Amino acid sequence: MNNSAQSNLFLASRWRRLLATGIDAVLVPAITIFLVMVFDVVEQAEDFTDQWWALHVLVLAIGTYLLLNGYTLWQSGQTLGKKILGIAIVTQQQKPDGEYALLPAPFWKLIAIRALFFPLLFVGIVPFLVWVPILILISIVGKQRRCLHDYASGTVVVKLN
Amino acid sequence: MVGHNPKRTGVATQRAIAQLSRYWLLVMCFASGAVLAECKNTPADTDLTTFYSNSWGIDHHNTRYQPVSTVNAGNAANLELKWVYGLSNETPRSFPLVTKDTIFLGDSNHGLVALERETGCERWVFEHKGLISSAIIPGTIRRGDAKEQPILIFTDRFAGIYAVDAITGNLVWHITVEDHLIPQYSGTPLVTDDTVFVPVSSMEVTLAANPFYGCCTSSGGMAAFDINTGEKKWYLPTIKEEAKITGSHFLGFVDEWGPSGAPVWGSPSYDSKRNRLFFGTGQNYSHPTTDTSDAIFAVDATSGEVQWVRQFTENDAFTAACAMSLNHPNCAKPTGPDVDFGAPTVIARALNGTDVLLAGQKSGDVHAMNPDTGEVLWSKKLGRGGIIGGVHFGLAVNETIGTVFVPINDRAAMNYPSPGTPAPGLYALDIESGEQQWHFSRESRCDDEECMYGLSSAITATNDIVITASMDGYLEVMSADDGKLLWSHDTWRTYDSVNGKDVEGGSIDSQGPMVADDLVMVSSGYRWISNQRGGNAFLVFQVVTPDE
Repeated sequence: MNNSAQSNLFLASRWRRLLATGIDAVLVPAITIFLVMVFDVVEQAEDFTDQWWALHVLVLAIGTYLLLNGYTLWQSGQTLGKKILGIAIVTQQQKPDGEYALLPAPFWKLIAIRALFFPLLFVGIVPFLVWVPILILISIVGKQRRCLHDYASGTVVVKLN
Repeated sequence: MVGHNPKRTGVATQRAIAQLSRYWLLVMCFASGAVLAECKNTPADTDLTTFYSNSWGIDHHNTRYQPVSTVNAGNAANLELKWVYGLSNETPRSFPLVTKDTIFLGDSNHGLVALERETGCERWVFEHKGLISSAIIPGTIRRGDAKEQPILIFTDRFAGIYAVDAITGNLVWHITVEDHLIPQYSGTPLVTDDTVFVPVSSMEVTLAANPFYGCCTSSGGMAAFDINTGEKKWYLPTIKEEAKITGSHFLGFVDEWGPSGAPVWGSPSYDSKRNRLFFGTGQNYSHPTTDTSDAIFAVDATSGEVQWVRQFTENDAFTAACAMSLNHPNCAKPTGPDVDFGAPTVIARALNGTDVLLAGQKSGDVHAMNPDTGEVLWSKKLGRGGIIGGVHFGLAVNETIGTVFVPINDRAAMNYPSPGTPAPGLYALDIESGEQQWHFSRESRCDDEECMYGLSSAITATNDIVITASMDGYLEVMSADDGKLLWSHDTWRTYDSVNGKDVEGGSIDSQGPMVADDLVMVSSGYRWISNQRGGNAFLVFQVVTPDE
């Protein structure tokens, strides 16, 4: 099977991918904000006497991401959104005979490379940075339906059923 | 016969242009190198025998009147650009301090720079990576029998107050106001013989834009420090009551607090005869409101005891949250008009010899008070007002003709409603009666938002002229007698600078122009609110006599 044919068979549809990202993009910040409120991270004047509040928010955001997605990424290469939509992240590796094989994505790549693009999707709320999420997502229109984070981590997203 | 080949001619032309470009680049490199080389041997020593100002307001009364100047209605038309210094930021907020041979200037993200007055070359730099938000103020440290040490004082908007040795440029002390959790040092300190008075506002006005912030607990204030040691003498909060929980939002997760606010944004004025400080306050940040917001304070300079407080606008509660949305959970309801006294108070002598305390408000009003009692002598509404004025940064007076000059901005900003018809321009009023003597109105250069032509920045007076600077980048000189425009310079352009930086002018705001001897100087560029045009030009003009 050539690469193109393989893509047509297994690749997750674009709308499923975008919807899954949308679910993650709502859940992670929503729970982070909830925790920020529960732990009073940015509620009092004392919190702003230094810059540690920013680190606290970052730690809570990372913790929330891992809490929601860590186990499923480890087990099946899925964030919560992707699990709900029945799609998963896999690596695309070329075998010696030239064929492509789809293998489970290494957990470290998902966390250390792929997940770093997730917060960048949110910088688009700043008007002059709206191009950043567009740049990350635009290549999903290609045949392989890979976004920038897929190219960076050598992954594709496939449907499971 | 060689035929004409247009293609070949085109290539030759391109090559010639490329060659010329390289030569031009080379020439420019040499030229800029030469400019920088000219500054190479600039001596670090400064003549500190004469300072042309001792405060933000040029004098302790905040008159913004320069008595040592030769610029007047007769020669203002001969002002010509002398040199340009390229600043390191696009929102300069510093006001220069001038001596016989040096101009000291705060350059945010670069430091306190000592520039040779004749050339603009750097004598020395006290490097400082922060937002220098004040005028540069001279002071003297006297420690026992030791030799007096001349110092320069400035504030970093968030980091506190700094004293730097005026000769060497070395740090002497750095102090912060410990009585306030999150102070903002927006106003310029005022220095008397042995005391540094520091106006204190609060970061909460903008922190409230975060809906998860429990707005608001802080009060504005005035602090007094010993100039020699940096030790606190007294601190006066403008709201005495401790803030208490008044409600909550987001299902009770975020508490709401009050009273709060009444920040002191501007430099105080000092009356040595009465030993009093006068200063204005801003609005409350949350409910309940207090009777000390949008008010004028008279305070004993030695003890910090309040002598009287005169409030001009009640129930004004507002934060940056309201500029985002009136439904923002941290926008106080009912929402006030946000009409601070951002401009410093002025102690002026009327022609009949009486002292009058003047205060310009963001509402577009100017008030005159008896400095002994706070009794209101007259009030005059000149503009519709708004969240960046009305009167925004400062007035000027010329006591010899008994006139106060009032710059009106009247610009809408940050989508906050500004009802009424704007009336930007310069107004001249009689100090004693408040009667209007003349009014100067400017035309807009275009319909874009950045072309708003109001006068937000402070102004300066000298001899028989007033010097103004506009939001759309014009530096202008007017006759103090009738408001006739005598000279104008459009700073919306690029400049060659003495320090080799690319320099552009922009909106002129904040501290406004300074004048000393035959020089007029101003920082152009202010990208702070809404769509004002940023810039990084510090411009120095000089009166050139016709035969020069």
